[in-house]
Amino acid sequence: MSPRPHLIALAAIVVLGLLYAFGSKDAVTLDLVFTLFLYATLGQSWNWISGYAGNISFGHAIFFGCGAYAAALCTNAGLSPWLAVPAGALVAAALALVTGFPTLALRGHYFSIATIAVGALVDTYVRTQGWLGMANGFELPIKNGLGWLQFSDKGPYVALALGLFALVQLATLALERSRLGYYLRALRANHAAAASVGIDERRWKLIAFTSCATFAALAGVLYAQYTLFVDPPSTLALSISIDIALIGVVGGIGTLWGPLVGASVYVLLAKEVALRLGGSGKGYDLVIYGAIICLIAAWRPHGIVGSIIDALRRRRGAADVVSVQNPAEAA
Amino acid sequence: MTPLLEVRGLSKRFGSVRALDGVDFDAAQGELTGLIGPNGAGKSTAFGCIAGAMRPSGGSIRFASQEIAGLAYHRVARLGVGRTYQIVQTFADMTVLESVTTGALLRHPRVADARAHAEELLAFTGLAAKRDRLGRMLTIADKKRLEVARALATEPKLLLLDEVMAGLTPAECRDAVALLRRILERGVTVVMVEHVMEVLMPIAHHVVVIAAGKTIFSGAPAEAVRDPGVVAAYLGPPLEAAS
Ligand SMILES: Nc1ncnc2c1ncn2[C@@H]1O[C@H](COP(=O)(O)OP(=O)(O)OP(=O)(O)O)[C@@H](O)[C@H]1O
Ligand SMILES: [Mg+2]
Repeated sequence: MSPRPHLIALAAIVVLGLLYAFGSKDAVTLDLVFTLFLYATLGQSWNWISGYAGNISFGHAIFFGCGAYAAALCTNAGLSPWLAVPAGALVAAALALVTGFPTLALRGHYFSIATIAVGALVDTYVRTQGWLGMANGFELPIKNGLGWLQFSDKGPYVALALGLFALVQLATLALERSRLGYYLRALRANHAAAASVGIDERRWKLIAFTSCATFAALAGVLYAQYTLFVDPPSTLALSISIDIALIGVVGGIGTLWGPLVGASVYVLLAKEVALRLGGSGKGYDLVIYGAIICLIAAWRPHGIVGSIIDALRRRRGAADVVSVQNPAEAA
Repeated sequence: MTPLLEVRGLSKRFGSVRALDGVDFDAAQGELTGLIGPNGAGKSTAFGCIAGAMRPSGGSIRFASQEIAGLAYHRVARLGVGRTYQIVQTFADMTVLESVTTGALLRHPRVADARAHAEELLAFTGLAAKRDRLGRMLTIADKKRLEVARALATEPKLLLLDEVMAGLTPAECRDAVALLRRILERGVTVVMVEHVMEVLMPIAHHVVVIAAGKTIFSGAPAEAVRDPGVVAAYLGPPLEAAS
């Protein structure tokens, strides 16, 4: 399929988003929109390795954390957080490499377990390190201007989150049309058949995993500059990794627009939960998300976008569907 | 001229099961070698070992004068061994064109080039009209055809075909034989497992019979059916229906 419609949709989102970012004064909604694009970016990052490649990651928050902590460290050292962009990305890529190298080509759930283990390890390590603020985390000094990635309004942050999302979206569109994209989908569909046409599973999945880890790190940099505070629960915890996975699954794994749809559902839900249950709602949201995961798994395993694509395909090729029931299948 | 493929003393154990127990055979350059034997003889296991899908327990596999026994699956493919599966292994969520393009990417890293080669192969294998169908929506005959096209897309020197005719109607079988002849015309060396003797006999240059993990015959197709050892191994009529 031609990339045109996707590019047009993305351009429309960017234009509308920018108009909104610089036109609105509603801090609450601006905050929501910032979160939406930040999570959509994280969801897309997760989607590379877990959706397209099919290896479910439960440790994606640590890559986000790499960026957030890199930004916090840079700003506190009097350096521009722009430096945290390559630094955080590099550390995230290195972490992805050591996690993925021994596990990405193994069958079963070794990779998923390894991501949980490395996530816990990083979380614990950070909590013991004075220079990383121990368990309390640390604040970022207040500066101003694009050079410091800090702004007095929320508008520029929303614009940056939108820009980052657009970049990652373009990268994903390119992925779908690239050798890597074909190989990841082939590996997810059937790793043995993929190897039989010369695909080196570990090599290609490592490329995907390290690339998407850097996307998450970039989101982390932006997040730290926005909240001006980093600590393990808000940037590294397993619960964040699970939220990211949830966004990917709800939207539809292995689809271009799934993460944005998943993030929209997530943000709206989080707002509703906070609104109706207030502070006492902590914990209930997890119950609700768990229920959603179960429902999706049982009823719409391809997520929202995946289900729409399936429906479109069925309408376009009703004749094809009939052949699914071909009796020769059973042979 | 040394054969393209030389298998010597190949053995493979699954726990206590000796699936292969010293298999020897050659596949000469440009020829079609038929690999036959009763159910459970070890034919598919031999393919698995040669292609690199499984690690042999012992023996040697020389391909183009290079030892490949125990080499990683994707490396063997890279060297020029293509294969199809007895139980089809399609990329279920990819279209026919995408599946074959995936194979072509091995020798043509740019997607546009790979696609062009894939289109060519779809025409060659008679799948062009179904290029946009999903793998999982194909009939069994088309799935097998797709596996052949996908393997050919890697531009193999040696093609291992595991029962590509099983489950096909007589008409589909005739199409498959015609395709096979065209593949041979391209200079690809073929080793083929096939239960339907009438299909194999006229096109095979050479036949290897294995039973209970051992080579029991190697020679001309016409002699194979007369060989008392082969007849005994099948315990009855060698002309067996497709499984
Ligand atoms: N993965 C495996 N684990 C255990 N045993 C296996 C495995 N694969 C094959 N076998 C056994 O090895 C023997 C040879 O099997 P193989 O599939 O190679 O036979 P085959 O000649 O291809 O038979 P068929 O004509 O039925 O396809 C059989 O006894 C089979 O049960
Ligand atoms: Mg077999």
